[in-house]
Amino acid sequence: MGEFWEVFQRHLPEFRSGFYITCRLVAMSFVIAMGVGTIIAAFRVAPARALQRIGTVYVEFFRNIPLLVLIFIFFFGFPEVFNIGPWVAGTLALGLYTSAYIAETLRSGVFAVGKGQIDASLSLGFTYRQTLQKVVLPQSFRTVIPPLGNLIIAMIKNSAILGASALAIPDLLKTGRITAALTANAHASFFWAALGYLILTVTATFIVRHLEKRLAIRR
Amino acid sequence: MMDYLFAPDRWEWLFSGNSFRFLLDGLIVNIELALIAMALSLTIGLLLALARIAKNPVIKGPAGIWIDVWRNLPLIFILLYLALSLPASWKQAYQDAAPTWLPEAFQNGRILAAVVGLTLYNSAVIAEIMRAGIQSLERGQGEAAAALGLPYWKSMRLIILPQGLRRMVPATVSQLITLNKDTTLISILSIQEVMRHGRILGSCLPFTCGVEVPLLQVFLVVGTMFAILNYGLSRLSKRLEIKQRQTTGIEVEKVTGLEDQVALDTDTK
Repeated sequence: MGEFWEVFQRHLPEFRSGFYITCRLVAMSFVIAMGVGTIIAAFRVAPARALQRIGTVYVEFFRNIPLLVLIFIFFFGFPEVFNIGPWVAGTLALGLYTSAYIAETLRSGVFAVGKGQIDASLSLGFTYRQTLQKVVLPQSFRTVIPPLGNLIIAMIKNSAILGASALAIPDLLKTGRITAALTANAHASFFWAALGYLILTVTATFIVRHLEKRLAIRR
Repeated sequence: MMDYLFAPDRWEWLFSGNSFRFLLDGLIVNIELALIAMALSLTIGLLLALARIAKNPVIKGPAGIWIDVWRNLPLIFILLYLALSLPASWKQAYQDAAPTWLPEAFQNGRILAAVVGLTLYNSAVIAEIMRAGIQSLERGQGEAAAALGLPYWKSMRLIILPQGLRRMVPATVSQLITLNKDTTLISILSIQEVMRHGRILGSCLPFTCGVEVPLLQVFLVVGTMFAILNYGLSRLSKRLEIKQRQTTGIEVEKVTGLEDQVALDTDTK
């Protein structure tokens, strides 16, 4: 146990910076995923058939191919056209990968509000804008938050792939590997890195569970 | 840009020599690994799920912690840790014991870390999926079985498990999609599978291969292979989920923190 503690004390700054980098990767990718996901969700519910089709193909492609393949495509694929750095390639890959799931979540959130409710509020004399504001969006929001939280948990875990692949971003996992090589103590350094990941994912799980209960719509 | 993607000379490699065959050979390793890991995860996952719903707190507590730790760690983290910390003697022992009819990639000792890692992570996930399926049964089922005088294990085997496990089939198929994608991670452990084969193809120079092999096109092909395979699986799991809901009228709770479980949930709504 003493060795574990020693590794922690000596390499705390590295672990801390790895922890922040993992958080930053997740945050940046989430922004990309939300932006693109919203656009694709709009495509999926658009009245034009062609747009719907584009949305469907996008979603099915990005969510069914491995994240590692996406990373390779962005990082190695365009050396002559635009040479993008590991951060851009990594967050773009993780962001676009997750955007497909986000698009589906948002789309199902819109459809979660029954058409009957919209008809009812319109016939009660609400304007279209009021209907959206007071009836549709509050309910969509409540149905969408728990699955979005789930996707963030998945992103935290997937972000480790960025650090492990050829991108060599010094995130929590990479820090664990470097420390393992420096101290020749794989168990201790991976233990502390694992603790970092567990802090993130377990906290997020608790928040999602809590929100799921609080936001549940009783029908 | 369009030219960069679609210019015919950038695609020529696909139809020359054995390139496509070479990628396909790699993909087969991934599929085999996914199936082996799935078979192991289903067996171990069932045991873990039973331990987690046990009445005895000495079994229940540790099983819960075990499951929550493994499914909340990144898979690649588990794989790299095992690759580093599994004793070399185990790998050697595996290599000596591996029968020669196994595919080449499976005879190497490195595959041990891959199989163990994939199983550790996925058995924890499967255990949670199974637990959700079992707990979605009305309590009356178990109580009725007890009232009929069936002992715990008999009511489990005859009443609870057959119904509970049927409900988790769609979610398991969804998890197989994730597992399929995750097998590419073992390329980081330098096991010869589809990603490695892609890199080998891409490093091929025009004067040895006769054609230019751009990495972009290689990985687009690899990605498309996975997309087709997993699209089929996602359609299957969606159909099973809808059918399951029609027969039981119950929506089984999805396991948190997994993207393809979220997808299954939103797909069928």
